[in-house]
Amino acid sequence: MSAPAIIDCHVHLHQNWGDRFSCAEVLLRHADRTGVELMCLSMGVTREVYHGSGSVEDMRRHNDEVAEVLARWPECFVGFCYLNPRFLPQSVDEIERRIAGGPFRGIKLLWDLYCDQPNLDPIATRAGELGVPIQQHTWIKATGAYRYESEPRQLATLARRHPETTFLAAHTGGNWELGIRQIADSPNIFADICGGDPEVGYAEMAVRMLGAQRVAYGSDAPGRSFASQLAKALGADLSDADRQTILSGTMRQVLDL
Amino acid sequence: MTATAIIDCNANLGNWPFRRMSYNTPEALLERLGRVGIERAWVTLLDAVMLKNVGAANPWLAELVAGREALTPVGSVNPTWPAWERDVAECAELGFAGVRVNPNYHGWELAGGELRALLSAAGELGLFVEIAVRMTDERHHHPLVMVPPTSLGGLAPIAGDHPEVPIIVANAKQGDLGPLGPGAQLPANLYFEMSHFESVGGVQTAAESLGVGRILFGTHAPYYYPESSHLKVFQECAFPEEDLAAITHGNAERLLAGLR
Repeated sequence: MSAPAIIDCHVHLHQNWGDRFSCAEVLLRHADRTGVELMCLSMGVTREVYHGSGSVEDMRRHNDEVAEVLARWPECFVGFCYLNPRFLPQSVDEIERRIAGGPFRGIKLLWDLYCDQPNLDPIATRAGELGVPIQQHTWIKATGAYRYESEPRQLATLARRHPETTFLAAHTGGNWELGIRQIADSPNIFADICGGDPEVGYAEMAVRMLGAQRVAYGSDAPGRSFASQLAKALGADLSDADRQTILSGTMRQVLDL
Repeated sequence: MTATAIIDCNANLGNWPFRRMSYNTPEALLERLGRVGIERAWVTLLDAVMLKNVGAANPWLAELVAGREALTPVGSVNPTWPAWERDVAECAELGFAGVRVNPNYHGWELAGGELRALLSAAGELGLFVEIAVRMTDERHHHPLVMVPPTSLGGLAPIAGDHPEVPIIVANAKQGDLGPLGPGAQLPANLYFEMSHFESVGGVQTAAESLGVGRILFGTHAPYYYPESSHLKVFQECAFPEEDLAAITHGNAERLLAGLR
């Protein structure tokens, strides 16, 4: 496969767009229109997951659904395995089954536990051994966080304990002016700039403080628009080389493509 | 469609107190919008939102855009302040096309009497009224200046009572539109600027729900990258040519042509 021009490091299945295949088709149709050639896909957005009340069965079901999509469109999606670290032994089982055994190539963590908790250590250690990234949701909210919703500073704490592991700070904390600073001194954390509004200055500050090679385009589609998120890279005052690094180079490095 | 046809109905000049702005002068804004083929824009002054005396922003904006036909000024009014009617009249005298309100920043609700009074005044002077639901994502507000979005509850019947006044809802996400009820039943004078519509193909979904004839192209530049709205409309959605023309300029031209 030739190198994709645009890699989206952050898309989901979502119940509002139908079953796994229907949602994947929506993603593929709109990705094609906007030039996105490869998408890192994880878990569906469902009520129980949103409320942090997911079970072991929910975790496995989400990964089963992603696996079915990967099997149908292996050239279009990279699978990220959703883990609920409240269920540590079962999460480790999922790593062995889905990643060590293939075909998943990354780990997705949401807000089931704060990411600096000890339960995250065996997961981060194994991810480092397998050479796969951990994508951790992060958001800094003036309006109040979800229970166990992590900020980038907590991911920085985990990343310091696991310097051999690669982390993606999903959304870069949302409040990106603060989030970028919270991960600035953590060289094994990459900024996933998906999901917030397309505010001028976001990508420019990320590149200035982290370097383009630590900044990755993502959308958070289908809840977010590919277009609004691509604008952060396509509209930023950056060199063409830095722009292309954000759009695909960083994720090629992270995924060892 | 030629690029020059696009009208940005939601652009800004000036400064926002919580971020260093760029491309916020008339020259720089037009240059920036021009990179995505936008050569005409309706502009407000960002500074107006946080001024105590909001009306002071209007002659300031007039001075900024003087001699620039590509920029259509939209004034700012706080209808809770005494003599606000003079500010509306001044906007008309200055040749503005409409006035914007920020009810959430200025402490009033659409369902109260302020909006009805403003619509009456604007209608007499031939101005449109624009309601900004928000200015920035509430989750990231300065902790000492947290401002919830304006609720659109009560707007539909009030708009229906003033059919002569075009009303633009700006900076609204689809989720903010719930209190309005079904799109097909909304008064014909309600328009929706699309810069904040999200999800894959979200502008197309909104157009199908609200009616293409109500959708106005807007960027919220230079706070947002203008590429966002441009990519949404021209690439991510698959609008037929006539719908694309309506959204990007036809609806805005019809709105302006209907003003007295």
